[in-house]
Amino acid sequence: MFAAPQRRRLAALVAAALAGVGLTVLDASPAAAAGVGYVRLAHLSPDTPAVDVYLSSVSGAIAQQKFDAVGYGTVSKYLPLPPGTYAVAMRRKGDPSSAAPVLSTQATVEEGRAYTVAGTGRFADLGLRVIVDDLGLPEAGTAKVRVVQASVKQPILDVAVAGGARIADGVQFATTTSYQTVEPGRWTLRLTQPGVTGTATTLAAQLKAGAVYSLIILDGSGGLTAQLRTDASSGGVPEGGVDTGAGGTAGEHGMSPLLPIGGGAALVLLAVAGGLSWRRSRVRAAAV
Amino acid sequence: MGESGRVLRHRAPRRRLNLTAARRRTPALIGCVLALAAPVYIGAATLIGRRVGIDAGGSTWIVPHRIDLAAPDAEPGAPPTRLRIPSLAVDTALETLRMDGSGVLSAPEVYGEAGWFAGGTVPGEPGPAVLAGHVDSKTGPAVFYRLHELKPGDTVDVRRGLVQPGEGGWLTFRVTASEHYAKARFPSAKVYGPTPVPELRLITCGGTFDESSHSYRDNLVVYAVLQ
Repeated sequence: MFAAPQRRRLAALVAAALAGVGLTVLDASPAAAAGVGYVRLAHLSPDTPAVDVYLSSVSGAIAQQKFDAVGYGTVSKYLPLPPGTYAVAMRRKGDPSSAAPVLSTQATVEEGRAYTVAGTGRFADLGLRVIVDDLGLPEAGTAKVRVVQASVKQPILDVAVAGGARIADGVQFATTTSYQTVEPGRWTLRLTQPGVTGTATTLAAQLKAGAVYSLIILDGSGGLTAQLRTDASSGGVPEGGVDTGAGGTAGEHGMSPLLPIGGGAALVLLAVAGGLSWRRSRVRAAAV
Repeated sequence: MGESGRVLRHRAPRRRLNLTAARRRTPALIGCVLALAAPVYIGAATLIGRRVGIDAGGSTWIVPHRIDLAAPDAEPGAPPTRLRIPSLAVDTALETLRMDGSGVLSAPEVYGEAGWFAGGTVPGEPGPAVLAGHVDSKTGPAVFYRLHELKPGDTVDVRRGLVQPGEGGWLTFRVTASEHYAKARFPSAKVYGPTPVPELRLITCGGTFDESSHSYRDNLVVYAVLQ
């Protein structure tokens, strides 16, 4: 079913992708949460028909999840998942789960990290991309936002804050900018074609301090359109912990001072064991 | 002259004839040309039109327009009023907690009650909702005395709004982790930082009790996600 040369070529691509993803992860800010990682699914290929997306745990940690008829521009909610390796498969809408997938990939979910598994590119060279999302806390009193470029009709975009800083120039189709720190409140973005002045699509959105956003640029019927997704949000961030004890049971409630050491050691082990090992495979159904 | 006249005559009538023929043929030719050319012109016009269309799509597809994006989050829900941890037999009202002047989260005033950090996330909304409770009073166990017994998979229920006991309004969270931190190295960004889904942080004290500062050295944080 899979041509061997194609698999070798894929292996090379996978290796390249691994290097890229590894670097991204090293750059990402420390994540919130413990005990889970997060995955969401996105359909960002304008000329690809709706697909059914399946998510299953390689180790059987969760029951298989199915997302029906996911169409262009759809970005699912995040699923909190136990750390581990997951298979994502896209099948033609209505195909049985036993049918060969149009595309599939495997992703290793690390604790506290978030990923968007996106079908990107044109239908002819559709691929599944694992985008690492950055849940790191924005600087105090600010928000973080990035642009996900999923317009084929306008495949290269310059993105700037209206009357303000450039966010990114020449953002190519099927890529994302890095997260930018912005002031919360009303925020207006200008999308222009490189080298063309005078015409711009402007996007206005309300951003909240302490939140992390993805702005997804899509092909609409009469021009660009966009979706603003909240990747993560937080409220106020107190300084440090809480004084929640008066000592009345000190020494009797079995909290060994070794616990923190054990916890630390376990974290180190987790970090080592969880060394990112994305194994991406692009599986094309032959003669579906 | 005559010759030439003849010639001229010949030529003249011929010329006239020719002219006449040409005059007769011209409209026909023009008609033919037009008839033949019309589809070409129409085709060309269509092609030009198409090309213009394609050009418009390729180079000036960004039409000046404004998109107003709705705030992705709905209005925050009602504040939490009650906390229940079935496996620990905890069932408590929730106080409202705030940060003090230096940004430190205040503890509940009543040892037997937990509190919700009202400056943060409302339970059930995306983000980490923070609930804190004492581990003990000066004389004995307090509301979160057994919090360290919680393990991944245990459930924690939070009620929002002012509903009567036995009615709806309860949200169930599932414990994903329980971690211990020295207060001196408390990972604020990890505990209070943004999360993509609705989560809970249950916080109490642990570790050794520092008699000089009348405070425990560590914090215990239980992480849970909305089921």
